[in-house]
Amino acid sequence: MTQSFLLSVITFLPLLSVGALLVLRSEDHLWIRRIALAASIAEFVISLLLLRGFDLGNPQYQFQENRAWIGQSIHYHLGLDGISIFLVLLTTFLTPIAILASWESIHDRTKGFFISLLVLETGMIGVFVSLDLFLFFVFWEVMLIPMYFIIGIWGHERRVYAAVKFILYTMFGSILMLVAILWLYNLSGKSGSPTFDLVDIQSRLQLGQMALSRTVELLLFSAFFLAFAIKVPLFPFHTWLPDAHTEAPTAGSVILAGVMLKLGTFGMLRFCLPLFPDAAHRAAPVIGTLAIIGIIYGALVATVQTDLKRLVAYTSVSHLGFVVLGIFAFNSIGIQGAIYQMLNHGVSTGALFLGVGMLYDRRHTHEIKQYGGLATPMPVLMAFFLFVSLSSLALPPLNGFIGEFLILIGVFAVNHTWAVLATSGSVLSAIYLLWAYQRVALGDVTVEKNRALPDASTREKLILAVMSVVIIVMGVASPVFTRRMAVSSDNVLHMMERAAAASQRPIPKPVEPGNTRPQHAILSPAATGSPAVVAVSVNEGPVQP
Amino acid sequence: MLIDPFIGAAKQRALGWVAFVGSLFGLAAIGPMAHIGGSGYSNLIVADYFSIFVHAVIILPAALVILGSMDYLDMEGMQRGEFYALVLFAAAGMGILASANELVTAFVGLEMSSISSYILAGFRRRAPKSNEASLKYFILGSFATAFFLYGIAMVYGATGTTQIDRIQAYFESSPIASLSGSALPVLGLGLMLVGLGFKVVAAPFQIYAPDVYEGAPSPVTALLASAPKVATFAVMLRIFCVAFGSANSLWFWAIWVSAVLTMIVGNFGALVQTNVKRMLAYSSIAHAGYILVAFTVGTAAGIAAILFYLTAYSLMKVGAFLVVTHLGQQDEKRLDIKDYAGLGSKQPVLAACFSLFLLSLLGLPATGGFLGKFFAFQATLDKRVVWLVVIAAINSVIGAYYYLRVIISMYFWDSAQDYMPTVVSGPMATALAIAAAGTLYLGLLPSRVLDLALAAADSLALR
Amino acid sequence: MPILNQLWIILALPLLGAAINGIAGLSLGRRWSNSAVNAVAVGSVGLSFLSVCEAVREFIHLSADQIPVFHDYFTWMVAGTFRAGFALQVDQLTVVMLLVVTGVGLLVHIFSVGYMAHEGGYYRFFSYLNLFVFFMLTLVLGANLLVTFVGWEGVGLCSYLLIGFWFLKKSAADAGKKAFITTRIGDMGFMVGILLAFATFGTINYGEMFRAVSGTGVETSFGVITSICLLLFMGAVGKSAQLPLYVWLPDAMEGPTPVSALIHAATMVTAGVYIVARMNPLFARSPIAMLVVAVVGAATAFYAATIGIAQTDIKKVLAYSTVSQLGYMFLACGVGAYSAGVFHLMTHAFFKGLLFLASGSVIHAMSGEQDMLKMGGLRKKIPVTFYTMLIGTIAIAGIPPFAGFFSKDQILFAAFAGPYANKALWALAFVAALITSFYMFRLIFLTFFGKPRYDEHHVHVHESPWSMLAPLCILALLSTVGGWLAAPTLWEGPDHFKNFLDPVFASAAALAPQVEEASHSLELQFSGFAVLAGLIGLAIAWWLYLGDPERPKRLAKSLGGLYTLVYNKYFVDEIYGALIVTPLMRLSTKVLWHVVDEGMIDGTVNGAADAAQAAGGQARQLQSGNARSYAAWVIIGAVGFTALLLVLLGKRL
Repeated sequence: MTQSFLLSVITFLPLLSVGALLVLRSEDHLWIRRIALAASIAEFVISLLLLRGFDLGNPQYQFQENRAWIGQSIHYHLGLDGISIFLVLLTTFLTPIAILASWESIHDRTKGFFISLLVLETGMIGVFVSLDLFLFFVFWEVMLIPMYFIIGIWGHERRVYAAVKFILYTMFGSILMLVAILWLYNLSGKSGSPTFDLVDIQSRLQLGQMALSRTVELLLFSAFFLAFAIKVPLFPFHTWLPDAHTEAPTAGSVILAGVMLKLGTFGMLRFCLPLFPDAAHRAAPVIGTLAIIGIIYGALVATVQTDLKRLVAYTSVSHLGFVVLGIFAFNSIGIQGAIYQMLNHGVSTGALFLGVGMLYDRRHTHEIKQYGGLATPMPVLMAFFLFVSLSSLALPPLNGFIGEFLILIGVFAVNHTWAVLATSGSVLSAIYLLWAYQRVALGDVTVEKNRALPDASTREKLILAVMSVVIIVMGVASPVFTRRMAVSSDNVLHMMERAAAASQRPIPKPVEPGNTRPQHAILSPAATGSPAVVAVSVNEGPVQP
Repeated sequence: MLIDPFIGAAKQRALGWVAFVGSLFGLAAIGPMAHIGGSGYSNLIVADYFSIFVHAVIILPAALVILGSMDYLDMEGMQRGEFYALVLFAAAGMGILASANELVTAFVGLEMSSISSYILAGFRRRAPKSNEASLKYFILGSFATAFFLYGIAMVYGATGTTQIDRIQAYFESSPIASLSGSALPVLGLGLMLVGLGFKVVAAPFQIYAPDVYEGAPSPVTALLASAPKVATFAVMLRIFCVAFGSANSLWFWAIWVSAVLTMIVGNFGALVQTNVKRMLAYSSIAHAGYILVAFTVGTAAGIAAILFYLTAYSLMKVGAFLVVTHLGQQDEKRLDIKDYAGLGSKQPVLAACFSLFLLSLLGLPATGGFLGKFFAFQATLDKRVVWLVVIAAINSVIGAYYYLRVIISMYFWDSAQDYMPTVVSGPMATALAIAAAGTLYLGLLPSRVLDLALAAADSLALR
Repeated sequence: MPILNQLWIILALPLLGAAINGIAGLSLGRRWSNSAVNAVAVGSVGLSFLSVCEAVREFIHLSADQIPVFHDYFTWMVAGTFRAGFALQVDQLTVVMLLVVTGVGLLVHIFSVGYMAHEGGYYRFFSYLNLFVFFMLTLVLGANLLVTFVGWEGVGLCSYLLIGFWFLKKSAADAGKKAFITTRIGDMGFMVGILLAFATFGTINYGEMFRAVSGTGVETSFGVITSICLLLFMGAVGKSAQLPLYVWLPDAMEGPTPVSALIHAATMVTAGVYIVARMNPLFARSPIAMLVVAVVGAATAFYAATIGIAQTDIKKVLAYSTVSQLGYMFLACGVGAYSAGVFHLMTHAFFKGLLFLASGSVIHAMSGEQDMLKMGGLRKKIPVTFYTMLIGTIAIAGIPPFAGFFSKDQILFAAFAGPYANKALWALAFVAALITSFYMFRLIFLTFFGKPRYDEHHVHVHESPWSMLAPLCILALLSTVGGWLAAPTLWEGPDHFKNFLDPVFASAAALAPQVEEASHSLELQFSGFAVLAGLIGLAIAWWLYLGDPERPKRLAKSLGGLYTLVYNKYFVDEIYGALIVTPLMRLSTKVLWHVVDEGMIDGTVNGAADAAQAAGGQARQLQSGNARSYAAWVIIGAVGFTALLLVLLGKRL
C-alpha cells in the first residue's frame, strides 16, 4: 500500500525540500540552486511513477487518499484521474525547467526565489489532486502568495503594480467561489451529513438525492466559473495577464503560462461541468462567444504589440480561448482536445517564454525594436524560437495542431459557426508569430551591440533540446496521452447526466461527431449535423444574470 | 473560578514575569473550573463552558501583551508595576463580563475593564497623543456605558428582572412581538446595543477607535483591540442570543445594518491609511464587522464560529500590534508604512511573522483568520443570509489591498537607509512565537478548538 | 513487394537527409563541409527516387483489385469516435506525382549543387530542400485528408523557409511571410473542409469517403458535398496561387531559382490540382463545385497571362506564366478532364522546371542580373542554356511535337467539347494560350537576341558548369518527349497516359453527363487552332521585339493607362493592403488594444480601485478628531438603532 501515499509524497515533497533550503546560508547561491534543481528533478521522476500505476480503463479517481481533517465534513481527500495526471506531470516537468532557466538570471535573494518556486509547485499540484472542496480552496489560495512574491520581488520595472493586479483579480474571483462552496456544503446537508467531499456531492447530485433549483445552480455555476474565467483568463477578464506575464521573471512567466492558467480550465472541467450541468448548458452560448472573442481578440492585439513578452502573453488569451471552447462543446473529442491543448500550451508557450527570457538575459529588454537580425549572431537560439513558434501556431505534425484540431472537430459537431470562427485563429497566429520572428531574427542586425551576442550556452541548449523533443513527441505520439484521458473525459460527460428526478429538465446528451448519423442519410439536408446539434448550445437562450 | 482574575490582581507590585505567570495560573485554573462548573454569588455569575472558553481567550492575549510590553516599558522608561496590574485588572473585569449572568454584574465588569483601560491608554504621560486618546476614550466610554445602564434600567422596568435566564423565560411566556404597546424592552435592547457596540467598535460607535488605538501605547492598543472585544462580544451573545433570543427576528436587522456599516467603514477607512498602527485600528473595526455577520443568525453554529473567530482574531491582532510595538522603537516614531520598507531582507524572521499575521487578518487559507471567516460565513449562509455574506466576502477582498500594501513595502521596496534593526528580545520573541504558532495551529488543525467552541456555544441555554 | 509494403521508406530518406544536414550543420558549422552536405542531400533524394522507381515497377504488376495499395502504419490521433492513422496509399495518380516529385526533385538538387555553391548557409538550403521533398511526398502518399494536410502545411513551411532563404534581404523575408500567411488563409478552408468531411462521413480516409458517396447520385442543390468540395478548393486556391490568392507566388521569386523551379513551378503549387483530382469522386457529384473550379481556373489562366506580357523581370514572367498554367490545370479538372489536368501538371513540371532552371542559369551567367531589359544577345555566349530554354518555350507555347502541345490541346478540346463543355471558358483559355506563347517568346527574344544591353566590360558572361547544364538537358529531353504518351491520339490511337489514370477517375467519368463522341476531324481541327494560337503569339513577339527596338515603347505609349495597369499587376497588392492589412492593424492597435483593453477594461478596474480610495478618504473625513462630534455620532447611532428596532417591532405587531 505504498502507492496510497504517492500523491501526498508528490504534493508535499517540494515543501519538504524547502526545509532543506532553509538550513542553507542565503549567500550559498550555488548549493541553493543545486538542491532546488535536484529536488524538483526527483519530484519529476517520482511523479512518473503515477504513469506506471495508472489504470487507463478506470473512470474512478485513482491513488485516492482520504483522511478526516477538520470535523466530520472536511477531509484530506486526494485523487487522480486521466485529466489531472498529465497536468501534474506538466507541473513537475516545468518546475525543473523553470529552475534551470533562472540559474543565472536570479542573483538577488536566491533562496527566497527557489523557496517560492517550490512552494508554488506544491500549491499547484495540490489543486490538481484535491478532491475535497475545502482542501482545493486552500491550495488554490495559498498558491497565489508565492507567485505574488515571484512577480513582486524578482519582476521587472512595473512589478508591484502587476503583482497587486494579479492577486486582487484572482482573489476577487475566488472569494465568491468560496461563498459558493459554502452554499453547496449547506445544501449537501439536506441529504445526509453535510460534506465538502467532491466525490460525495457529485454522486448525491447524480442520484438525485441532492437537487439544485435552476436559479441556485446558475448562481453557483457563475461563482465557480468567474473564479476560473479570471484565472484562464477568458475575455474580458484577461487584463491582469499581460502585465503579470510581462513583469514576471522568466521562471514566473513559464509557470504562470505553463500551469497556472490551466488551473482555470481544469477547474471548469472538474467542477463547473460535473456539478452544474444544466447551468453549464445554459451558459454555453455566452461562454462560447466570449471564448471566440478571446481567440480573435487576443490574436489581433498580440499582432501589434511592441513588447515581445507582452506579445507572447496575449497569445495565451487566444490559445486558452480554444481550450474553453473545446470544454464547452460538451463532447468527448472536444474535451480531450481541450486537455491536450492545455498541455501543448504549457509546453509551447512555456518554451516561448524561455526563449524570450534568454534574450532578456542578454539584453535586458523586451522591446522588439531592440532586436532584429538576431539569426546572424545566434542561429541556434533563433532556430529554436522559430520551431517553437511553429508548434504554437499549430503546424502539423507538431503538438499544437493535435489539440487545436481535436477541439475543432469536437466544436464543429456542436456549432459550425464557432468552429469556423475559431479556425481563423490559425491564420492570425501565423501572422503574429511569423511577423514577430521576422522582426526579431531576420534582416540585418539593427542594433550594433546585438552583433556580439553569444548564442545559446550549453545549459540553454539543454533546456531548448528538452522542450523541442517534447514538442515533437506530443505531435507524433498523441495517443500515448489521449488514450489515458479518454475514460476520464467520457466520465466528465457521464457525471453531467442526472437522474430524472434530479434535474428539472433532461441534460442534453453530448453530441459526438462522426457517429451522429447513418451513412445512407449523408446527402439529406439535415445530415450536415447543424440543426440537430446547434440546438444543444444555441437555442438555450441567453443566461439570466 | 472567581479566583482566577485575582491571582494576578493580588500580586500587583510584582514584576511582569510574575504577572505573566499569574495569568498563566489563571489559564491553568480554567482546567479544574471546567469540572466544577455551576454558578456563584447567588447566580450572578455562571461558569459554563461558554464563560470558560471566553476566559481563556481573554487571558491569552492579556498574557501575550504582558510579555510584549516588557522592553517597551523599558524603552519608554515607564514604571512597570501598575502597568501589569492594570492589565490584569482589566482582564479581571473582562472575566466578570464574560461570565456575568446578570446585567448589573455585567455593567460592573464593563466598568472595571473600561476604567483600567482608560488609564492604560494614557500611560505614556509625556506623549500628548496618548493623553488625548485616554481622555477621548474616557469621555466617550463613560458616555456609552451610560447608555448601557439606561438599557438595563428599561429592561428591568419591562421584565422586572436583570437575570439573563429570567429575562429569557419572561419573553418565552410573553413574546416581545405580541406584547402590545410595550416598546420598553426593545428600547432597552437598543440602548444596550449602543454601550456594547461601543466596546466592540461596531459602526457607528467605532468612531473613537482609530484615534484611541493610534494614541494609546502600542502594547495597550494590542490589548484594547483584542481582549475587551472578546469579553464584550461574550456578554453581547448572552444578552442578544439568550435573553432576547426569542426576538432574533427583531434585532437581526439592527445587527445586519451595523455589520455592513462596520465592515465598510473599517475597510475603506483602512485603504487610505499610511500609518500602520492606524491601519490596523481600522482593520480591527472591519473584523468586528465580520464577527457581527455571524452574530446576525444567533444559532449555536454562529456562536461557535464567533468564538473561534475571536480566538484567531485576538492571536493575530495581538501578534500584529506587538510587531508594530517592536518596530515602533523609541517614542513610537516608526509607524509609517514607508518605515517598513526592506524589512524582508533586514529582519526576515520578524517580517515573516508579520506577513503571517497580516495574511491571517486578510483571511488567507491555512491561517486561523481564514477559518474564522470560513466558519462565520458558513454559519450565516446556513440561515440563508446570502447577501450579507456576499458583501462580507467582497469586503474581505478590499481588505486584502491594504494588508498586501504592508507586505509590498516590506518585501518589494528597498529598505530606508537610516533604519537600524533592533534585536527582538526573549519575551517579545516568545510572545510572537506563541501568537504565530497559534495562528498556524488554528489554520491547519482547528478541530480541537472548534469542538471546544461548539461545546461552549451549546452550554448557552439557547431556545 | 518490399517497397510497396514499406512506403514509409520513401518518406524517411529525405527526412533523414534533412535532419542530418540540419543538425550537423547547426552544431558543426563550417566543419560540416559542402561535399558532405551534397552527399547527404542528393544521396537521400536519389535513393528515394530509386525506391519510387522500384515501387512503380512493383506497382504495374499489381492486379486492379490490389489498387490502391493501402497501409496504416500507426495511430496518429485518436479521441472518442475520431481516429486518424498515419496511413499511406499508392494508386495511379500517386505514381505520377511520386515520379514527378522525386524525379524533378532530384534534378533540382543536382542543379543546386552548382547554383548554390558560393552561397552561405549551404547546409541550411539543402536541409530545407530535403525537408520539402519529404513533406511533398507525404502530401501525395497520404491516405487520408489529415496526412495530406500534414504534407500540405509542411510544404508551406518549407516554401516559407526557402523563399526567405536570404533572410538578410527584407524583401525576401516579407515574401516568405506573405506566402505562408496567404496560403494559410486558403488552408483555413481546407481545415474546415476536413471537419465537415468528418462530420458528414465519420471518416477522413479517401477510400472510405469514396465508398460512402459511391451509392449517391449527383448533388444538384448546394449541399454538403458541394460545401466540402468548395472548402477544399479554397485550400487549393491558396496553395496553387489562383485568383484571388495568387499574390504570393510572384513575390516568392525572391527565393533562390532552384526553389522557384521545384516548389513554385513543378511540385508544391500543383498540390491544389492534385487534391481536386484526388477528391474527384466528390467533385464529380457537385456540378456547382466543378463550375467554380473551371471558372476560377480559366479566369486565372487569362488574367495571369495578361500580367505576364509587361513584366521585365525574367523570373516574374515565369511566375505569372506558372499561375496561368495552373489555371489551365484547374480548368481541366473543372470540365471533368482530370487526366488532362494531371497530364498538363506533369508536362508543366518538365518544361516549367526547365524554364526556371534555365533562367537560373541565365541569371548565374549574368552574375545575378534578372532584368531582361539589361540582357540581350546571350544566344552565342551560353548556347546550351539558350537551346534548352528555347525547347521549354516551344513546349509551353503548345507547338507540336513538344510536351505542352498534347496536354494543353487536350484541355482546350475538353473545354470545348467535353462533358462539361463551356464555350466561354474555352475562348478565354484559347486567348490565354495565344498570350502565353507571346510573352514566352518575348522573353526569349529579349534575353537571347538583339544587341547586348549590359556593360560587357563589367559583366563577364559565362556558361554554367555541367552540374547545372545536365539537369537542363534531361528536362529539355522530357519536355520534348514527355507528351508523346498521348501522341497516338493524333492518328486515333490510344492515349496511354489517360488509360493509365482512368481507374482513378472512373467513378467521376461514370457520373459525367453523356455527350456524343466528338468526331476525330473536329479534334484535329482544334489541335490546329491551338497550334495557330501559339504561332500567332510567336509572330507578334517576333514583330515587336526582333524588328525596330523602338516599337514596343511606342506601343506601350499608345496603350497608355492600360499598359501601366498591366505593368503594375492591376495594383492588386496595393488594393489588398489598403482594404485589409492596414485597417486590421489600425483596429488592433487603436481600438482593441488601447481603447478596449487599456481604456475600457483596465479603466473599469482601476476606476473601481480609485473609487474605493476616494470612499476611504471620505471615511477618513469623519475622523474630525474632536470628541464632541464623536459623541454626536454615538447619539445618532443610538437614536438610529432604537428607531430601527421600534420600526421593526411595529411591523411585527
